[in-house]
Amino acid sequence: MFALKVARRYLTSNPAQTALLVTGVALGVTVFIFITALIEGLAVRLTDEVTANSAHVTLEPPTRLAEILRGDEAVRTEGVALVSTFQRRQIRAWRSTAELITRQPGVSALSPQISGNAFLVKGEAVQPVSVTGLEPEGLDAITPITPNLVSGQGALGADGLLIGTQLAEDLGLTAGQPVLLRTDRGGERLLTVRGIYKTGLQSLDSRVAFLSLQTARPLFDLPEGVTNIEIKLDDPDRAREVADFLAGATGLRATPWQEKNLNLEDALEAQGRTGTLIQIFSLISIIIGVASALVLSAYRRRSEVGIMRAFGISGGFIVAVFMLQGLLIGLAGGLLGCASGYGLCTFLASLTDADGNPPLPIAPERGGYVAVLILTTLGAVLASAFPARSASRIDPLEAIQQ
Amino acid sequence: MRQVLQARGIVMTFRNGDEETEVLRGVDVDLATGELVALVGASGSGKSTLLSILGLLLRPTAGEIQIAGERVDRLNEKARAAFRNRRLGFVFQFHHLLPDFTAMENVAFPAAAPAGGISPEMRRRALSLLDRVGLSDRADFPATRLSGGQKQRVAIARALMNKPDLIIADEPTGNLDLRSAGQVLDLMGEVNRQDGGTFLICTHDEHVAARCDRRIHLVDGKVQPDGERSDHLN
Repeated sequence: MFALKVARRYLTSNPAQTALLVTGVALGVTVFIFITALIEGLAVRLTDEVTANSAHVTLEPPTRLAEILRGDEAVRTEGVALVSTFQRRQIRAWRSTAELITRQPGVSALSPQISGNAFLVKGEAVQPVSVTGLEPEGLDAITPITPNLVSGQGALGADGLLIGTQLAEDLGLTAGQPVLLRTDRGGERLLTVRGIYKTGLQSLDSRVAFLSLQTARPLFDLPEGVTNIEIKLDDPDRAREVADFLAGATGLRATPWQEKNLNLEDALEAQGRTGTLIQIFSLISIIIGVASALVLSAYRRRSEVGIMRAFGISGGFIVAVFMLQGLLIGLAGGLLGCASGYGLCTFLASLTDADGNPPLPIAPERGGYVAVLILTTLGAVLASAFPARSASRIDPLEAIQQ
Repeated sequence: MRQVLQARGIVMTFRNGDEETEVLRGVDVDLATGELVALVGASGSGKSTLLSILGLLLRPTAGEIQIAGERVDRLNEKARAAFRNRRLGFVFQFHHLLPDFTAMENVAFPAAAPAGGISPEMRRRALSLLDRVGLSDRADFPATRLSGGQKQRVAIARALMNKPDLIIADEPTGNLDLRSAGQVLDLMGEVNRQDGGTFLICTHDEHVAARCDRRIHLVDGKVQPDGERSDHLN
């Protein structure tokens, strides 16, 4: 293609200027990639932090609402069927439900639980706790407790209890010491602190106590059922889809993790919007840079373009020459920017602070490389449209007489 | 002899606000194949305007133009450009070579651009034209490394690339020293004699005009009949 040869020749005729232009585009692309990788990395880190320690889908008995009873029109009596607060809401057929869940693709773990509120009493110290009764072999299925033990051990046994460091500190407890658990159902039992964990999550470390499902049954007056089933998925992003399916299949209330963390979702969306704005401005700066350089080039080459037009070269050929210059600049700058952006992100991801974590939650593999390469190339071609059009309209007579 | 160019009643009026200037007032021009004709006249006589009109670079206010048997004054812009490319050759006072291309590429350009590349045949013809203008050893030289006379000879080779019916030259020696000007005139004369190339050369220079077969003398926008001709050359 001869127009491509002419475009290439124009670009290589002034290597310093072309290099400067390509570098400018590459810098814009680097900024784009850095911002994309940072925002994606931050989202991944925040999502990981939330989903790593909590269930991706929670199944609970459906909420029972008080129902207004409409009376006969003639009698006009009305009443309210009150919901029993004595009758414990539970999933009785939890074993068959668990089997159904296990058969679903993408389910990595599940944990039937009895959850309830209680007080831990140590001498005169009393602390409210959220108690989770679970099968001892599934202790780490939802929240990794065993790897986070700072003292004692993870074997719950018949009277064992695991608590967080903050709660232990508040009650002055250490591993091996007894403590009294008094539930909101009136159950009471002296248990032994088997281990103390530290997850780094304030809500867990100061408020939650784990014990075995069998120990929890009499304490919460649930001889057969469970209060909830927590599910972990291979891909947390599928939580909504899986929740919808399970709700339909079981008739239970299925809540995906996103609905329990609406603030996080809002924050991630706001962060994404900010990133998009920065990305748009990066692209605009690339387009303006390429357009201004090609406008100057078209002006500088007026007489050359004029002579081409004089000996009958079509306007389409001139447009192609300038748009191909835009394409080559966009492609070269895009590729260079992708390489430098990846290099920068990889370098930043390799840095570690005092805790051994990267100072920036950057995800080099999520820099949006293909998207930015396509957008930059298209943007540069778009930017060249105006100078290309104006060059193709140069009056040959005017240009020759200059 | 076959007519290459036939222009009848060419009128050109330029408007500047309410003011109208009639530069050409009913000009008739006839050129036969193989003629070497000088277009002469004093500054402001309208010869550059006439040359631009006959080269299809400017539309006349009125008049008819036929080149190589084709009526061209009614063609649209695209068709005019295509016609210029296929049937006309141009040599300007300033060579207007493309500085980023070699001598050979400059010569081949008018054929290569519409075709999408320089074919081996185009390359052969460009090299033969360069040989013809005495620059075969400069074929791969960038245009910027040629002397003024060499550049103008390359421009003549470029004008001949598409085997045009008519070559329009606007002061082709106006920017050259005497020696280079002589070489360029020799070359045009040679092409005219040997290939039967038809030239219309706009010039101020009596030496150039004297080497042509005949002159078209413009005075105040009209062709002066031969008998009434006075010397308006500078």
